[in-house]
Amino acid sequence: MSSLTSALPPAQGTGARIARWGLYLILLLFAAYYLLPLLLMITTSFKSPEEIRTGSLLSLPRDFSLDAWSYAWNRACIGADCRGMAPYFLNSIVIVVPAVVISTIFGALNGYALTKWRFRGANIVFGMILFGSFLPSQVILLPMAQTLGALGLAGSAGGLILVHVVYGLAFTTLFFRNYYVSIPDDLVKAATIDGAGFFQIFTKIMLPLSLPILVVTIIWQFTQIWNDFLYGASFAAGGAQPVTVALNNLVNTTTGVKQYNVDMAAAMIAGLPTLVVYVLAGKYFIRGLTAGSVKG
Amino acid sequence: MATLSINNVRKQYGSVEVLKGIDLDLTDGEFLVLLGPSGCGKSTLLNMIAGLETISAGEIRIDQRVVNEVHPKDRDIAMVFQSYALYPNMTVARNIGFSLEMRGQSKTERDGAIRRVARLLQIEHLLDRKPAQLSGGQRQRVAMGRALVRDPKVFLFDEPLSNLDAKLRVDMRTEIKKLHQRLGTTVVYVTHDQIEAMTLASRIAIMKEGVVQQFAPPQEVYERPANMYVASFIGSPTMNFVRGTLSAEGDRLGVSVGRERSGFLPLFQAPEQAGHWLGQEVILGIRPEAITCYDPAIAAGNPALVKVACGVNVLEPTGADTITYVELNGHEVVARIKPSDRVAEGETADFMIDMARANLFDPKTEQRI
Ligand SMILES: Nc1ncnc2c1ncn2[C@@H]1O[C@H](COP(=O)(O)OP(=O)(O)OP(=O)(O)O)[C@@H](O)[C@H]1O
Ligand SMILES: [Mg+2]
Repeated sequence: MSSLTSALPPAQGTGARIARWGLYLILLLFAAYYLLPLLLMITTSFKSPEEIRTGSLLSLPRDFSLDAWSYAWNRACIGADCRGMAPYFLNSIVIVVPAVVISTIFGALNGYALTKWRFRGANIVFGMILFGSFLPSQVILLPMAQTLGALGLAGSAGGLILVHVVYGLAFTTLFFRNYYVSIPDDLVKAATIDGAGFFQIFTKIMLPLSLPILVVTIIWQFTQIWNDFLYGASFAAGGAQPVTVALNNLVNTTTGVKQYNVDMAAAMIAGLPTLVVYVLAGKYFIRGLTAGSVKG
Repeated sequence: MATLSINNVRKQYGSVEVLKGIDLDLTDGEFLVLLGPSGCGKSTLLNMIAGLETISAGEIRIDQRVVNEVHPKDRDIAMVFQSYALYPNMTVARNIGFSLEMRGQSKTERDGAIRRVARLLQIEHLLDRKPAQLSGGQRQRVAMGRALVRDPKVFLFDEPLSNLDAKLRVDMRTEIKKLHQRLGTTVVYVTHDQIEAMTLASRIAIMKEGVVQQFAPPQEVYERPANMYVASFIGSPTMNFVRGTLSAEGDRLGVSVGRERSGFLPLFQAPEQAGHWLGQEVILGIRPEAITCYDPAIAAGNPALVKVACGVNVLEPTGADTITYVELNGHEVVARIKPSDRVAEGETADFMIDMARANLFDPKTEQRI
């Protein structure tokens, strides 16, 4: 008997075996295709400018050095401002954390109300929200700029938070709504008879059952908002810009020789939080995406 | 403990009328079973009593108080769901105590009540588990515990046993009955299992398409069904329906089945209106156990027993009885025969019909005559 490590039936005959190895080879090529740029960035960021100029692109660093990282972190010039990526990294955190938290909470509340307190027209409301998740992000640039101006939030972190919350709500609502339809309505009925109200049912029953979808939503929103460039570039002024915009400006700031190691280190710094989130919570992400109904 | 009265209650979903004027009155401590096929509106009615569905028209009173606009938590009812609806994130103890927690009772008060109910249901050793760690029967008990702890005026059960296997269902059925005898609380119990209905109910309401067909004690429903629908819904094998003509022989009224003269079956106590039906077509309803093998000793002592000769078509032994398909003047009917009396297939034998237990129905309206 073959061990059941593969969902595919065991290969039989030489032809099938060759096909199987061919499959592995293709998979390996794809993996390399995606991993090579990352490897290149990491090795380059640890090299000195000297080594980059003389050595091969793919070679490992000879003299391992963290200089580029520390330079990118707090000395690199972004425009005229030479405090490095650090303040912008902080900006991103200040924007991302509240935006993720708020959009997730409201998404959960929306999903809960849409599935368990079915009001007249709930399906139409859901249809409109669903439509929102298909809107290209550029479409809302102009109206949003006007709205932020009218609210007096233009150019501030608060404005950017609002933009991300509004844009993200379509997705978070969709996630929670689809998860909550699988939770039996009888739970809500039982809790209603037991005397729990709208918010008590939400906090005491629905939320504790929501861990898988919470993780999915948080990861999704975190990567979306952290990686956002368009809204950051459009709605944040100078000092309030997020790290992605700062990275762009850093790379485009031309002062003498191009410091590829610093560029790479800065790019790594900008991308690291999403990587970390995936590594820490990735398995919950997969689990959450496939999570079915909650059996009572 | 309380009375429950349902007066001309209707439910509409858009233009569809799901309940078409329900009238039921329960005295204190009664056990009402709502029985009917899938989709007839049993759960809808139960949810309306609970307050989970709005009432389109009519009135529901619990202990004389109109509860139409009262919030479910203030109706003093408790409900057990078919799916049990246990809160998956809470322990058994917290599940049971949740309603008390919502009422703002202190932890010590709650613990006392939870322990008392757990002892009653013999689930004390499960209190710290989560619902996912319980068997189906144990979940069922917890669901009952959650209802019991509130000490409500009315218990509502929506097919509480239908997710259990056959053996456990019988056990739990007995347990529910004992519990009801002990607590004496008014109960409304939804099921589509006729055995559950017969064994548990003090009165059964049989529903069809949003209308109550009959509301009576189980034995009466069984012996004097209000119409052919009720007659065929209760009892297994179902009641035999034989078309015949109401006729007179001497001063005795009877039903003539088939063309032969031997097909005259005299009615033992003809219903009062039967005279109006003379010469008209009627439907004779006979339960399978009212047809038995002819025994001269028994027949002599009971004038209601009518002797008939029937050909035997098929035998279906079930252990306790042998279900026998026989030919009664050209109509196939089912008889429930003692295994010791069994007759060989293909033979003709004498049977006797207990006409005291016969029912007459109007062939057009299908109502009892
Ligand atoms: N929200 C609703 N909107 C429209 N029709 C509904 C709604 N809820 C129930 N119905 C209809 O009302 C009728 C009665 O439903 P109900 O759930 O009361 O049946 P039931 O007797 O409990 O059946 P079952 O034995 O299958 O549980 C069904 O025909 C159903 O389709
Ligand atoms: Mg139902």
